[in-house]
Amino acid sequence: MSATVTAPAGGAAPGTTTERVPVQNVSFFRVLRSEWIKLWTLRSTWWTLASTIVVLVGFALMLALVVQLAGDSMQGASPEEQAQMGGFLGGTMVVAAGYEMAALVVAVLGALMITGEYSTGMIRSTFAAVPGRLPALFGKAVVLALVTAVLTAIALALSWLVTYPLLNSNDATVDFGDGAQVRSLLGTVLYVTLVALFALGLGALLRHTAGAIFTLVAIFLVVPTIVQIATFAAAQLEWIGVVNKLLPSVAGAQITPSAGAFPDVLDPWVGISVLAGYTLVVLAGAAARLKFQDA
Amino acid sequence: MIEARGLTKRYGAKTAVDGVTFTVQPGQVTGFLGPNGAGKSTTMRMIVGLDRPTAGTVTVNGKPYGAHRRPLAEVGALLDAKAVHTGRTARNHLLAMAATHGIPTRRVDEVIDLTGLQPVASKRVGGFSLGMGQRLGIAAALLGDPRTLILDEPVNGLDPEGVVWVRNIAKYLASQGRTVFLSSHLMSEVALTADHVLVIGRGRILADAPVSEIVDGAERKLVRVRSPQASELADLLKANNTTVEAVEPGLLEVRGSNAADVGELAAASRIVLHELTPVASTLEEAYMSLTADSVEYQSEDIAAPAATTSDLEGSKA
Repeated sequence: MSATVTAPAGGAAPGTTTERVPVQNVSFFRVLRSEWIKLWTLRSTWWTLASTIVVLVGFALMLALVVQLAGDSMQGASPEEQAQMGGFLGGTMVVAAGYEMAALVVAVLGALMITGEYSTGMIRSTFAAVPGRLPALFGKAVVLALVTAVLTAIALALSWLVTYPLLNSNDATVDFGDGAQVRSLLGTVLYVTLVALFALGLGALLRHTAGAIFTLVAIFLVVPTIVQIATFAAAQLEWIGVVNKLLPSVAGAQITPSAGAFPDVLDPWVGISVLAGYTLVVLAGAAARLKFQDA
Repeated sequence: MIEARGLTKRYGAKTAVDGVTFTVQPGQVTGFLGPNGAGKSTTMRMIVGLDRPTAGTVTVNGKPYGAHRRPLAEVGALLDAKAVHTGRTARNHLLAMAATHGIPTRRVDEVIDLTGLQPVASKRVGGFSLGMGQRLGIAAALLGDPRTLILDEPVNGLDPEGVVWVRNIAKYLASQGRTVFLSSHLMSEVALTADHVLVIGRGRILADAPVSEIVDGAERKLVRVRSPQASELADLLKANNTTVEAVEPGLLEVRGSNAADVGELAAASRIVLHELTPVASTLEEAYMSLTADSVEYQSEDIAAPAATTSDLEGSKA
């Protein structure tokens, strides 16, 4: 039983055996390595990651141009007016301008990581190798979080670099000495990463690519838009404001440079914690379905 | 060694596997035979923990599959063809699987060579033929050099050379003392490959015996008799404790007797015979008769409308 399978492909009965195949116990680290290989060996990963960079850098450049144009038109304006303009379109806001779009793109990646396995049948191979199942889900989550966070940070750095000349000439660069500005950029990384994880959880819950992405867009784009209209249309109804500030996108966005679009919002760290809480709930639901339902 | 005890799987009101108990022994190829929908795949999925049994237990090499710390070294499974991401290349798929068990890259290349996948190893699986997909599935199953192999319809979609290859590798693995459990809906395939056979129908085990025994059991003699006085002869034969089936008017199939006795009987009653042929029933027929009541999707037999002796008697009256 210790002999290795070495039958030749031709079909003739093989006679020789080689040494025993080294096979180690399944460990979380090995599952991580497997998930890491899986991520980088699919073209969809490269497409979505490239899109994330394009979206973040592209939006930053567009907004930097707006700053430039605004600066040109305010040549004769008073310093107070110029300062007001700078406050409205600050450096961090320009650099992170595309964060919502970027979050949707990495969400597609997060959902695909698991729904792609369900739609192709790969999930059966995954669970055959990792019968505990949960390490596979958590392995995906760790790899996704790591890749998304690093990628978003790199994309923001690129955005900062390409917009620097324009922003500098308009005196609207990021002030890295300002803790609030640094926090808002790190917060952007956190927000995008959490949305990706949220999407992974949705994917594992729904087991269907289109369903997961549709649900995510509904939660992060459609519902907030409707609630936003409601807050303006029925400002006297207090509960709408409460619903609004507790929406995943609104709560999570308070830590980004685009914070404070509404009168009643959560504190940045409270807001991102609320988003993290939703993400945990979705992932827990996903873990439960994964563990207890047939693959 | 695979041991199932009262293994049951229900999907709502439908029972796919109905309290099956069996043991698959190491050192031989065990065929798992049954018509489509009989519960073969469901049973195999429960063995590797993909489906949770509604009742009963199944262990592999003494433990439930999920309790093994190196599952790929215990069980290599090929389950319904393509359990592979279509966007990944064959080699990358194997590398990802190998990584979970710290299996070295050289073993990945070894199973690629072994299964003849070299020409397509760096191609994406989405473009694979069914045969190539099967070879990749077998390569993945062999990755951890497992003590037990579970192959669900392994020859599906393979060309004749591939079929022979699967047969040989299954026998070879069993000869090394491994447990090989191989499903098929083709009796002929199992007869050629397996030493032992489990026959399943409608979720129940119908037979659990060495292939040779099933083959012997299948050789119940059948005698075909053509006579213008068929109904008269049928009555006579039935009176002599034989089973008679009227295949078509004037043609009978007689079981439980032999050509000589049928001839004697006919002569004694001055019945004219136009044909008297002893027919040995094939394996396929034996399998069909075993599973006749348990096939899920019964097809109408257009060629031979079933006319029973009672029909014949009715028409005579």
